This record gives sequence, C-alpha cells and structure tokens, in this order.
Amino acid sequence: MNRIASRSIAVWILVALLLGGVAFFVGEYFVKGDTWVMTQGSPHIYNGTNLGTGVVTDRGGTLLLDTSDHRTYATTKELRKSMLHWLGDRHGYISAPALATYAEEMAGYNSVTGLYSYSGGGTARLTLSAKLQTAALKAMGEYKGTVAMYNYKTGELLCAVSTPTYDPDNVPDIEGNEDGTYEGVYVNRFTQSVYIPGSIFKLVTTAAALEELDDIRSQTFTCTGTYSYGREAVTCELVHGELDFDSALAQSCNCAFASIVDQLGAKTLEKYVKKYAVTEPVSFDGVTTAGGNFSITDASAVQVAWSGIGQHKDQINPCRFLTFMGAVANGGRAVEPYLVSKVTAGTSETYRAKATTGKRIMPEAVARELQRMMHNNVIEKYGEENFPEVTVCGKSGTAQVGGEKKSNAMFAGFVADEAYPIAFFVAVEDAGYGRQICVPILSELLPVCMEVLDAE
Amino acid sequence: MSDFIQTLTGAQETFVNVYLAVMRFAAPILALILLWRCCKPLLTFRREPEIWAWLCLSNGDKLPITHWENTIGRHKRCDILIDFPTVSRNHAVLTRYDDGSWSITDTHSKDGVTVNGKKVRICALNEGDVISIGGVEMQLQPITHRQEVRLSQLRTRSSGMENVTNLLLLSIFQALTCIGFLMGGNLENATPILFGFGGIMLIQWLLLIFCFIIRRPAFEVETVAFFLCTMGMAAIATVKPGETVKQLVAMVMGIAVFLTVGWSMRDLERAKKMRYVAAVLGIALLGVTLVFGREYYGAKNWLVIGPLSIQPSELSKVCFVYVGASTMDRLLNKRNLISFIAYTLGVCGCLALMNDFGTALIFFCAFLMIAYLRSGSVGTIGLAVTALGFAGVIAVKIAPHALRRFASWRHIWEDPFGAGFQQTRALMCIASGGLFGMGIGKGWLKNVFAADSDIVFATLAEEWGLIMAVLPVLLIVVLALFAMRCSSVSRSSFYTIGACTASTVLLVQTIFNVLGTVDVLPLTGVTFPFVSNGGSSMICAWGLLAFIKAADTRQNASFAVRLGRKGGGGDE
Repeated sequence: MNRIASRSIAVWILVALLLGGVAFFVGEYFVKGDTWVMTQGSPHIYNGTNLGTGVVTDRGGTLLLDTSDHRTYATTKELRKSMLHWLGDRHGYISAPALATYAEEMAGYNSVTGLYSYSGGGTARLTLSAKLQTAALKAMGEYKGTVAMYNYKTGELLCAVSTPTYDPDNVPDIEGNEDGTYEGVYVNRFTQSVYIPGSIFKLVTTAAALEELDDIRSQTFTCTGTYSYGREAVTCELVHGELDFDSALAQSCNCAFASIVDQLGAKTLEKYVKKYAVTEPVSFDGVTTAGGNFSITDASAVQVAWSGIGQHKDQINPCRFLTFMGAVANGGRAVEPYLVSKVTAGTSETYRAKATTGKRIMPEAVARELQRMMHNNVIEKYGEENFPEVTVCGKSGTAQVGGEKKSNAMFAGFVADEAYPIAFFVAVEDAGYGRQICVPILSELLPVCMEVLDAE
Repeated sequence: MSDFIQTLTGAQETFVNVYLAVMRFAAPILALILLWRCCKPLLTFRREPEIWAWLCLSNGDKLPITHWENTIGRHKRCDILIDFPTVSRNHAVLTRYDDGSWSITDTHSKDGVTVNGKKVRICALNEGDVISIGGVEMQLQPITHRQEVRLSQLRTRSSGMENVTNLLLLSIFQALTCIGFLMGGNLENATPILFGFGGIMLIQWLLLIFCFIIRRPAFEVETVAFFLCTMGMAAIATVKPGETVKQLVAMVMGIAVFLTVGWSMRDLERAKKMRYVAAVLGIALLGVTLVFGREYYGAKNWLVIGPLSIQPSELSKVCFVYVGASTMDRLLNKRNLISFIAYTLGVCGCLALMNDFGTALIFFCAFLMIAYLRSGSVGTIGLAVTALGFAGVIAVKIAPHALRRFASWRHIWEDPFGAGFQQTRALMCIASGGLFGMGIGKGWLKNVFAADSDIVFATLAEEWGLIMAVLPVLLIVVLALFAMRCSSVSRSSFYTIGACTASTVLLVQTIFNVLGTVDVLPLTGVTFPFVSNGGSSMICAWGLLAFIKAADTRQNASFAVRLGRKGGGGDE
C-alpha cells in the first residue's frame, strides 16, 4: 500500500500542468487582454468591420462621428469631407489609427472590470476645429494638397486637411474615375505623403548657416543668375544682383544659397539636417508619419548645392515640417503635435493629452534670428497687408517636380504672437508659385483660426 | 397613468440593473465562502495511520499493520519490511476483510509461505496461526473489538450540520442565479430555466437526505459536484435554454451511476466481481458504437437512439477506470496484469477505428496513470510496451486527421475568421468580461458554436468573470488533491488506483477543455467535467466521482466504507 500511495504523487504532474496552464493564461489575460478586446471583430466593441466605441467631436464639441450602428458622420458635407482622413470611411479604405489607438480608453476597458461599464462607448475629443477644417477645405478649392495649423505652445493640431477627399455619406465612383480627380484620395497627405520641399528648405540651410558661419550676417552675395560648378550650375529665375543675407532668404536667391552651402560643406549640412530632424517621422496618437529624405552620398558639388535649396533628392513630410516650424517659433524646441485632446468613457475621463516638448534642436538666439528673417520675408516679399492683424513669419517654396506638371507650391511658417501661437504649413500640388498660390490660402484661413482661438 | 407606468418600468429597469450589478460581486463572494467551507475539510482532514493488527516476530518484535492490504518483503518500500536474505523482495500480501478476518497471499516468492507448517498460496488466517515467510516465523494478532471501536471514534468525522449549511449556501447561490436569469429579460425561456435550477436544487437535497438516511452525511465532494453542475447549467441557460431539462435528466442518470458504482465498491469482493461486468460493458459500449455509431466532425462516436444521442465512449471511461483498479494481492499477479494489458489493447483498437482523438487521449492518460500506479518490478516492461503501442496507434491512425485542427495552435490570430474563429472570439469575450463578468445572460459568445461545451470556460468568463470561471478549474484540482490525500490512509489499492485514475481523467479533460479554449493547448473538443453541456459527459463525470468518494476514509463519510461493526455505531 505504501508504494501505491506514494505513486499517487503522479497526479501532481497533472495538477501542476493544469494550474501552470491556467496561471500562464491569466498572465496572458492581464498582458494581452486589452489587445484581444480591441481586435477587429471583438463582439462588444465592433459593428462589423468598424470600431463602435462611441462618438468623436471637434475641439468645440461639434459631432464629427458617431460609431454606433452604421456610423453617423457630421451633418454637413463640407465637414464630412474635411474630416475623412482622420475618421476613416465605412469600408476600411481609409483607416483611423488615432481612433483605434484610443478605442480602449473610449470603451473604458480595463482588465479588472472588462467592458462592464461600456455602454455604446465614450467620447473622443479632437484638437481639430470643425470650423477651421471646413474653411481650409474651401480655401484649397479644387487643388490637391494639404493645409495644416497647430498651436506651437500646446501642440494641439487645429487644422489638417488633405485633398482630394470625398463625402463618406455619398461615396463617388472612385474606381471608375479616370480624369485624376481622386488620385491618392485614400492617402492622408498631411501624415503619409512626402513632398519635394523647394525653397522652404532654405530655412534649414539658413539656420545651419546662422549656427555654423560666424560672419554670415556681414556677408553679401552677388547674384548673376547662375552659380557655376564647371559645366553645371545653380540658377535663379531672376538676376538678384547684390544681396545681404536677409534679402538672400527673402528673395530666395538660389545662387546666394549655393554659395552658403559651399561654405558649410556637405558634411556640415547633413549634420544640421539630422540635428533639426526634418526627415524624421513624427509619432502621435497612434499615427506615425512618413519620413523625409535628404541624401547627398556620392553627390556632386552642384547636387549638394541643390540639396541645400530643397531640390535634388530632398523630400519632406508636411507634419514634420510643421513641427520644425513650431520649433523655430518656440525658440528652438518643438512641442510635438497631437490630435486627441481627451477621451471619456461614461462619466470618467480615461485620457487627457499632455504637451510633450521635444529636445532642443537649435540655440534660442538662432531661432530668434530666424524668426526675424522670416518676418522680413513677409515684409519684403509676401506683403504684411495679407496678414493685417498679426506678425507672420514665413517662407514660400516652389518645388519643381518634373514632367508636365506645374510646380508644387509650398508655404511654411508661423504667427509670432503670444495670443495666437499658430504654426502653419501649406502644400498645393501642380499649382505654380508658392507665393501666388499659398499666401492667399493662408490669409484666408488665419483670421478664421484666430477667431476660433478667440472664442475659447 | 402612462407616466406612472413609465415610472414603474423605469424603476423596474433600475432594479434589474442594480441586481445584476450586485450579483457580479455577490456571486464570487458567495461561491468562495461556500467552496472554502467544502474544500477545507477535504484538504485538511487528519490522516493518522490506523493500526489494524500486530505482527509478532519470534524475537519478540511487534510490527504494526496500518493498512487493509499490506505487502511483506525485503523491498524497502514494502509495508512490512523484513530484511532477511531468504525473504523475497515482494514476498506476500496480508489482506484484511470487511468482517475483520485476515488472509495471506503468496506473491510468487522464491521460498513460499507456510501457515502452521503447510505451504500455501492463499490462506485465511486465524489468531495464533504461525506464519513462516522465507523461514522467518511470525504470528498475526488482530486488534480487539474494543480497540476497533475506539479507532473508528478517533477518525475524523464529517459534520452533518456543516454539510446542511453548505447546501443551503449553494441553494441560495442557485436561487440568486436563477432570479438573475429571469430578470435579465430571458422571460420566454423562464420555464426551462426554472426547471433547470430548481431541478438541481431538488436533486441535491434529495441526495443529501438519502445520505443522512444511510448515515453517511459527508457531502463535501457532492456539494462541489453540484456547484460545478450549477455553473454548467448557467452556461446552458444562456446558450441553449431549451436543453436545461435534458441536462437535468443526465444529472439524475449520472447520480444513479454514482450510487451504483459506489455501492459496488463498498464490498471489495463484490467490486472484484463487478470488475468483470465493467470490463465487458466497457468494450461492448465501444463495440456497439463502432457498429451502429454515427459520424460527426470526422469522429464516429455518437449513438443515436430515437430522440436520444449518446456518446458511449464517455461511459466506457468509467468502466476502464473500474477495470484498471485492483486489489494488492492480485496486483502482483502476472495474469491479472496481462489481462489488463490485453484489455487496453482491445479498447485502443476500438478507439483507433472510431477516429476520436479526444477520447483516445483521455484513455491514454488514464492508462498511463494506472500503469504507473500498478507497475512494480514485474510489469513495467509490459506496460511500457503497451503504452508505446497505444501512442503508436494514436500517431499513425488518429493524428493526421487531428493535426489539421492543431495547425492553428498558437496562431489563432492569424486566421480570426477561419480556423481561429472559436478561440479568438473566446479570448475577446473573456477579456470583455474582466474579472467580474458582463452580467448574467449578457454575453455574446452564445452565438459561437459549442459555447456551452467545448469553450464553456469562455462563456462563463464572459458572463460571470474570470474569477468565477477559474473556480470550477480549482475545484477539479481540489477533488484530485483530496484523492491523493486519501491514498496514504487508503484501505485498499483498489480505491487508491480508482480514485487517482478518476482524478486523472477529470484533470486531463479539464486541461484540454480549458487550456484548449484559451489557446494554451490545441482545441480538442473535450468536455469540461460536470460543466459542459452533454448528457454522456455528465454521467461519466458522476461515475468517476464515485471512485473519489470511495477513497474517502473519514468516519461516516463514504458509502464505500462500512460503518464500524457491532457497537461501533451499529451496522446498517
């Protein structure tokens, strides 16, 4: 009997297997439970393929999307169109990573109470302004491109429209359209596209020169329309003649900047591009933007010069460049942009955004000097009368894209005003000159944006 | 007026919500109190060795005999160790019977056993007989009647009143659950739900009364089983409310099997005879399925008789445990072992033809446990060979078909709408339920296939919370630990082998059911004992419980142990 009794210990092996397995599962439950609940198809959270975690509003509380049943979008067509790339469509062509990211907070899920307190979901409040979005959509007209503004003190993304777009409540025949109206319609150009920057990239070179070249302020440049490198040359459309540094930027003189790039050298320029992070992706609220490009490996001297002018192989992402503008406006340190300001589930607040300030990318003095020069651009070139109430600092760009298309028009900058800490970025494809195309768009939008901020 | 009705409806809604909200916490608290009260005596009862006789050696040494079945020999794990060169390693077995008489059996020793000078193979012993084992002489001195009475009084008693209180608590739990279901808006199914929970309540009280009548008031093991059945009923009530009565009928049949198996084991001589009946029945059930069975999902394991569909392989599990158990004197007998191996091969053949992977796996684990418990020096090799053969059959015959199901193991999220559908939904719903559940009847998983059987764990977790879902698992563990605790003071190896093998089957089924649901193991479609919806499975679980109950040696506890004789509380 003793022998048999002692052999009964073998049952322990099974007991250990069972308890071990259950313990392993409980561990998994606490680690992965939130993922399980939020996975597409999760019965209490999803309506078919779409998240059903509640409603999304703009910064003022205007309803943008109710995810229950078959998704109800905003009441006006313009607002629906302007918000499409942030809220997604019904069929999964356009995703809404920010909503998926906060689905857990909207549902009020936690591993103790599960989804018990979930009743149709919570509310996610975006930082975007419905009013500003529709105004931006209108200002973009028929153009493709993107226009964005953010508060460089708090990081709130106030406006970010991507065109072309469509009304999710009245989906056009996108597949059958052949005139190019809906080319790239599923892409959020603000976050997912890259553009050849053109002259707005001169801001990077300018900042590098301010940091690196001690005598840059006393230098003068003579533009003859060409700055030659043997058989090749950097050219300007106009002959600018004698220029100081301020005017070189304001007139966007390629020859002057070629000379500056020469002085800096390829290595140094590359170092500053890296330091200012202008080609890095930005991540916020589950969105990771496209990264840019700056590559001068094996590049000839003229190619390096064009790289410093925003051509050659340069590519920038709108959101990243907007953040860079924010850094300059904010004295050398950017407040990272974000989209979701707060999430509530039931009566409890489950998420509230906090401003995150990135690391310093340039000395404050350099940032101040760049601000002054950018304001000078407006005075000298774009016309202060376009922005009657505030001090705007900016730089336009006209990026040649080749082929039969017109140039892409760019305009980037910010408002130097404590009451209106707005950085902006405008990119319009296949349009022409940055100054001609983008400045009117901005002058139309800035008053709306200020109005929105005034109302709060 | 309409305002008034509206207010009333509103008030009712609020009340229902409050009730269900309170139940989320009340249920686990009540269950924990109840189960703590049940499990504590099972896991902590005293296990002091009982002395049934003394063996007086010629040199004046007196060796205590602490079991009903005792091996005598030179082997250091023998119950009575006589370290003398002429004594075989396993020389003989000394057995006590229900009536207090003793016998000695020679277990193929080299020098044999003599009683009063006569060489014997098996011989009844009287007081004063001189036994010689390998030349060592000794006399058996059984304890006196008065000592026996004293002994039985020392044994832990199971308190009858405690068990009544436990059952009252369980009844409260069942009533609250039932009300929860009715209030949750399940009114169209009110009748079957009332029948389901009311039926369990009625059956458990009837069984308790019966146990009191036969003066075996220990009811912890049964209370645990009834709790498990209640949780199973809760799953059925939400998934297939129409089947509550069917499950109830299965429960009654299960309890009948439980009592029958228990009764058959009360007298070991009877049990030995019943073993043959069980053997024939076990293989016959499989045979009938093979001939008349119907194939579902690739396995031919269903027998459809009119409106009834049963899985006979479930019932043959109980028979297999019965056949595998054996008393010590036979355990060391080669013939007994060989016939068991032959029997196993027969069962194995039937299972191979039936293509039922889950059942084959459970039989295999049960076989391994029996083999391990039985195999001393004699049978290890034969058993190992059989094991190998069994494994071979599974690998060659059944696995290719089953492997397709295993392809998605640990990869369920890669195919959430195909092979991984059941398990991904199960995990989503478990997580949705949190620790305290979405509320009775508020689950979604009922829409998924086999929500009340194969993935019942997830159904419980979704509606009752993870705590209440893990509780049944722990209860199966408690039953197994209880069986193990009993084995050290067990009267006969028959009970120990029976209880340990029954626990093995319960544990293995729970392992494959629960861990299969949550993708820790592949999903095999094995049922959760007592909990899963399925009549055959329910009957099998109760049948197995009889073996665990029989191992209970506490005074007045088990129907398998006769009460103390004459004056020791009176014979029944």
